[in-house]
Amino acid sequence: MKKIIFSIAILFAFNVTLQAGGPWAKGKGKAYIKLSEWWTVFDQHYTDVGLLDPNVTTGIYNTALYLEYGLTDKVTTIINGALFSRNYMNNVKSRTTQENIIDGEALNSIGDIDLGVKYSFNKNSKVPISLSVILGLPTGTIGGGTQGNLQTGDGEFNQLVQLDFGSGFQLGQSASYFSGYVGVNNRTQGYSEEFRYGIEFGLGLIQNKLWVSGKLNAVESFKNGDTAETVTSTSIFANNSEFVSLALEASYYVTKNIGISASVASAVRGEIIAAAPAYSIGLFMDIK
Amino acid sequence: MKSKVLFLSLSVLFLSSCIKDDFIDDMIDSEITIITAIDTIGIDSEFQFQSRYLNNIGQEEKVIAEWSSSDEEVIAIDSNGLAKGLSIGSSIIKVTYEEEDTLLQDSLLVQVGAETVIVEQTVNSTIVTTSSYLLEGTMEIREIDQGIELNILDDYKASTALPGFYLYLSNNRNSIANALEVSKITVFSGAHSYTVPNVAVGDYNFLVYYCKPFNIKVGEAVLN
Repeated sequence: MKKIIFSIAILFAFNVTLQAGGPWAKGKGKAYIKLSEWWTVFDQHYTDVGLLDPNVTTGIYNTALYLEYGLTDKVTTIINGALFSRNYMNNVKSRTTQENIIDGEALNSIGDIDLGVKYSFNKNSKVPISLSVILGLPTGTIGGGTQGNLQTGDGEFNQLVQLDFGSGFQLGQSASYFSGYVGVNNRTQGYSEEFRYGIEFGLGLIQNKLWVSGKLNAVESFKNGDTAETVTSTSIFANNSEFVSLALEASYYVTKNIGISASVASAVRGEIIAAAPAYSIGLFMDIK
Repeated sequence: MKSKVLFLSLSVLFLSSCIKDDFIDDMIDSEITIITAIDTIGIDSEFQFQSRYLNNIGQEEKVIAEWSSSDEEVIAIDSNGLAKGLSIGSSIIKVTYEEEDTLLQDSLLVQVGAETVIVEQTVNSTIVTTSSYLLEGTMEIREIDQGIELNILDDYKASTALPGFYLYLSNNRNSIANALEVSKITVFSGAHSYTVPNVAVGDYNFLVYYCKPFNIKVGEAVLN
């Protein structure tokens, strides 16, 4: 039975792109590990024509682990997964009688896991370029709740091929960098394929203890996924989501290797996607 | 100090992930309506009128209503709504119910003639979107044996983007709390119909299009 998921799958994409490591190879034996809490709560969404409509308040909380490890100087492995994911929807009550019309529900489980490999073509170049292949494993749960509308994953196995490029440079006294990516995400189970792209600018402050970055991430749907018209399952959800989001992230090295990070991201344009900021706070270890 | 901040932050995160309450504004004006449709009572014939009271959330409740006839020499009516045609002419049949300080009422002009004429009830209406999802068309409702038939006409179009798209008959356009679920929607353009057993034409005031999984009202048709 096909199950196609509404908006939340794309929110996981926010999470993935926020933590992507750019074109730079990690280097043999070096690693970056981050444990973070990522969440969003939304009571409106972008509709299929890009306008805002209300919906029952929905929350998603992910406790996520992100790991980059340099197998060789050119090959970096990536693991990104939600160790614990919670998706809930509020009760719907009558303002007149204060009685429940629809009971709220929640689903708790492990979330989806991404496994990836990044190959650096020219590690020491001024403009490094890398190619990543990331496999999205549907380890989360879908179809939870009475209406089958709660999920901690998107229920499909996808393969993302992504080309990253960038450059580091001095901006006055500060180290800084620019990076970008383009990718194609092939999805299964009737989901639409996607073209993904993004750019990022980062600036090192306080002797590079504090890194501040601004990002633009986008997903453009090929609009070739199943719809409610083509799938008759009782638990189908819409498809063909897309968005453009802006994000700000700050990472602070408390010691040489350990730091904390915080980020906020929000869609500025979208279709069939939640319309609310997504937040993240994390603790990372950068083994250089 | 650091551990206290961490504990406080985690507590806030934990508590904010609890299920809370969303409220919908579902208050409407209560009403009483004559739900039997008749044009003419045959002379010396009896006819049982019926009324329906809907409270301030559109829920039907049993109440003791009062019946009256504007011309008792043409139509006599008792306290239970049982009427009798006495002489050729016309009279306004009225039902009233006093709710706190408000007098609710409905009336119907009825003739007295040679024989009783029951009006076949049909409703024609326009389906309109109340969201930014596509939903448009026209429809009609007609009585069939032991029920009604909802005929959605050829000009109907609906968005295919929504999951769990359902059709309800409701007496509150903002709520499906006491509504009748007609069907999951599987037709997104063109003419189609639904048969609803054990329902009369005047039983519901609204047709409501609703995305059930995400509790989104998509559109409606006014039926009265």
